[in-house]
Amino acid sequence: MSVQVRRSPLRSFGKLCAILFYLCFALFPIYWLVKISVTPDQLVYTEGTKLWPSTATLGNFGKVIFQTDFLIFFRNSLFVSLSTAAVTTLIAAAGGYAFSRFEFSGKRILVALLLLTQMFPLLMIIAPIYRIVAALGLLNSLPSLILVYTAFNIPFATFLMQSFFDGIPKDLEDAAMMDGCSRFQALRKVILPLTLPGLGATLGFIFTAAWSEILFALMLIRSNDAMTFPVGLLTFVSKFSVDWGQMMAAGVLALVPSCIFFIFIQKYLVQGLTSGAVKG
Amino acid sequence: MTTFTNKAPGGTRARTSLYWRYLVEPYLYLTPAILLIALVMLFPLIVGISYSFQTVNLLHLDKGGWAGLSNYADLWADRKFWLALENTLVWTFGSVFFQFTLGLGLALLLNTRFPGRRVFQALVFLPWAVPTFLTALIWAWLFNPVIGPLPHWLAAVGALSEPYNILGDPELAIWGPITANIWYGVPFFAITLLAALQSIPSELYEAAEIDGATAWQSFTKITLPFLAPMIAITVMLRTIWIANFADLIFIMTAGGPANSTQILSTYVFTTAFKKLDFGYASTIAVALLGLLFIYAALVLALRRKFVKV
Amino acid sequence: MKRMLMSAGLLALSMGTSAWAETLKLVEVITSPERTVVLQNLVDGFKEANPGIDVEIVSVPWGQAFETVATMIAGGDVPDVIEMPDTWNALYADKLVPLDDRIATWDHGTTLTEKTVAMGKLANGKMTMIPYGFYLRAMFYNKKLLAEAGVTELPKTMDDFMAASAAVSKLDGKYGYCLRGGPGGTNGWIMMAATMNGTNEFFTADGKSRINEPGSVAGIQFLLDMYQKGYAPKDSVNWGFNEIVAGFYSGTCAFLDQDPDALIAIADRMPAEDFGVMPMPVGPAGKAFPTIGYAGWSIFNTTKYADDSWKLVAYLSSPESNAAWSKRVGVIPIHTGADQDPFFKTDQFKGWFEELNSPNYIPTVMPTYLEEWGYFTSTVLKDTAQEGLLGQRTAQSLADEWAELLTDAYGNWKAKQ
Repeated sequence: MSVQVRRSPLRSFGKLCAILFYLCFALFPIYWLVKISVTPDQLVYTEGTKLWPSTATLGNFGKVIFQTDFLIFFRNSLFVSLSTAAVTTLIAAAGGYAFSRFEFSGKRILVALLLLTQMFPLLMIIAPIYRIVAALGLLNSLPSLILVYTAFNIPFATFLMQSFFDGIPKDLEDAAMMDGCSRFQALRKVILPLTLPGLGATLGFIFTAAWSEILFALMLIRSNDAMTFPVGLLTFVSKFSVDWGQMMAAGVLALVPSCIFFIFIQKYLVQGLTSGAVKG
Repeated sequence: MTTFTNKAPGGTRARTSLYWRYLVEPYLYLTPAILLIALVMLFPLIVGISYSFQTVNLLHLDKGGWAGLSNYADLWADRKFWLALENTLVWTFGSVFFQFTLGLGLALLLNTRFPGRRVFQALVFLPWAVPTFLTALIWAWLFNPVIGPLPHWLAAVGALSEPYNILGDPELAIWGPITANIWYGVPFFAITLLAALQSIPSELYEAAEIDGATAWQSFTKITLPFLAPMIAITVMLRTIWIANFADLIFIMTAGGPANSTQILSTYVFTTAFKKLDFGYASTIAVALLGLLFIYAALVLALRRKFVKV
Repeated sequence: MKRMLMSAGLLALSMGTSAWAETLKLVEVITSPERTVVLQNLVDGFKEANPGIDVEIVSVPWGQAFETVATMIAGGDVPDVIEMPDTWNALYADKLVPLDDRIATWDHGTTLTEKTVAMGKLANGKMTMIPYGFYLRAMFYNKKLLAEAGVTELPKTMDDFMAASAAVSKLDGKYGYCLRGGPGGTNGWIMMAATMNGTNEFFTADGKSRINEPGSVAGIQFLLDMYQKGYAPKDSVNWGFNEIVAGFYSGTCAFLDQDPDALIAIADRMPAEDFGVMPMPVGPAGKAFPTIGYAGWSIFNTTKYADDSWKLVAYLSSPESNAAWSKRVGVIPIHTGADQDPFFKTDQFKGWFEELNSPNYIPTVMPTYLEEWGYFTSTVLKDTAQEGLLGQRTAQSLADEWAELLTDAYGNWKAKQ
């Protein structure tokens, strides 16, 4: 992890083992998901423990794409997750900055309050939230989910952003402000570029949180047109049987937009400091 | 902390400036967050907590009668509550410990140079993108001896006497959801810690190298202290979040067999939505909230003591 | 910006106008994609016959249906018409429209079978629902597995059943019984207890539960033995509907007690010649007590369109609609004469009709009229039965706990009558 590159063979071997371990641990379950998605229905159980089915099919993917509403669900999920991630990160960055850089009256109470919202199981407050959303006339609409998800994720994201700001020396913006920048200009020109990895991580975190959320998506949305992808997955578990192949195929497809999103924020995750190249 | 000697924006008189920076300016940045939370969460939260002092049924929310502290008295005598509390501790700390250790290892690994690092990074972060519901299903499959390989492998290396489903074994069942949770959560720690690692000025390491520090020394003397604030906050947030995270357990074992994987949040769920007893469910939830609050206060106090930022 | 405002205005306008047209909200709870299509077809027929009434079908995922519907109602978003499973009926009975008067003047009211009317009234003495069909338990068996294990004769009694299960379990990785230790296992426990006890009465004349009588305890012990002797898969302690059905069609276990609706999944994945359906095994008294369940259509009393809601329920319950519906969703229909339909005369349905036509098989109705029943079956019974299966408790201690709860619940119900 340090700068000095020591090429002792033992070290390289250890590193290789670590890389392989992480790869297998992360990918094997996903491999299994892919395997089930290409297994014909009749072989799901009979060849259950085989590493690859004797005949593979892409039929499940065809059915999911052409015969179900999954493309609509994807579009809805993507819209909700991206909007939530963008709005939340923006609001949380402002809040985190205030927590990191100011000492002010009411700060502790505010921190306690934000933490409190994270400690009470959300399912206990579904009924009142349902009424609020209904009163706003947003029931059965995607904006209702964006609103609710943003509110849920702000505390978490704010603390996360605060820690990233804490990691940036204050001298930097002080220097900029000495040079005549306003605080906001210093924030935008000096600090923000330095927190890009933090912003990327927060964006990614909120995106996946919204992407997986199921409880409120289930409760607040009724119609197929506004259904999000995780709720769509639930419909494969019916009273009569579970369509594993199609369900897993839908799951594999769901990885595609997330992957694209991650590749996009990856750039910011690794190109952190403008000052130095990536440390090796 | 910012000191008084700093030049205030616009260079106004000191009095206005103090007023500005202690009362107005921080709130300018915080207003959107506060407004949104107040609108969506504060009122429901108060309502939710107030249920614990009532006898309320979900289907008759308006007909609740005040019950004083009787729900809390019931809770104290509830065998299932204490069992669930014990399981919650195993579930939360088991998950957080491994998520954190493996996540830190991964972050350190990703912060070094090796061929194919970008592709590697994209691949190991994938589990994070898998929706929880699907994560639970995949792992439930992997642990099933008819359709998953894990029991056979575990039996082959002697960890299990025969290939059976550990989710049906009350001694081991909780480790099924914990494994799934570790898998799902490692990328979170890896990403946040990696982002924090990236902002450690590389000059520090160069200086340490010139001074002849070993890798271990620069890890404990530079890396860890720099990561400490991030570690404290992420571990705390994750602990809170995981303690409340019922989805994996709910889908994989539904709290069974025989309550051996029943944690407080799944207990809240069954009480609220199967028994429809919102009063008692809220009481359990408040107890969980109290415990988490004490925990968070401890972590924040520790952080203030040991981390100098 | 201007365009946005205009389109927002248009949207508001269109929403305003659509509120004028009458839209009934119909919530479907026992869902699968194919089933929703069948319901949609029926509803389309209704809309054609009744222009001016629009019907919106809301299908909630079955696994979360109970929570979802409860939250909808708690949030004040109450549907007009709902598909009502028997286990929910008592909870919602006071929010439902009694249909007795309407049925009395309905063309098809007279052909409803006696059982249909009796069960529609079970919750509080009024017809709070019109059942649309019945689910009766019978035993599916895997012909191939039985042949492999050398079981030549189908088990008739409980002892035969245990012996056949033991024989199949000798095969490597195979088991006798697809035990349902997880969600929804109640029927199995109650049925076995009743069969061994020789009666399906739940309560004595003075209101005491019969579940902890020695016969009933023997029935509970029967299932504990089945599991503890290894005649059921080890993880079946967690199995719910989908797992037992999958366990059966994957050939993991040879016997499965299920309702006709399981045929839908099984017939899709198993060749018809590989499995059959026989009556439930009989107990020492020579009788068996397969459970019978039902679901139906109900109207919430908050509806603004009581007359049109009734029209919809009547349409769905008419002999033609009901015949089409029951064939597709796997239930036994509600109008007299429906059993003459050639569809039900196939071998597939043999087990069920044998049960219906022989005096030795007495269909057992669960006491779903008890308000505590839902929680008892979904949570209490499941958790404690798992403790029993895992050897942490004896059959007697399970039975005593259940009996105490049921006796109390029965007392509460009696007090309200």
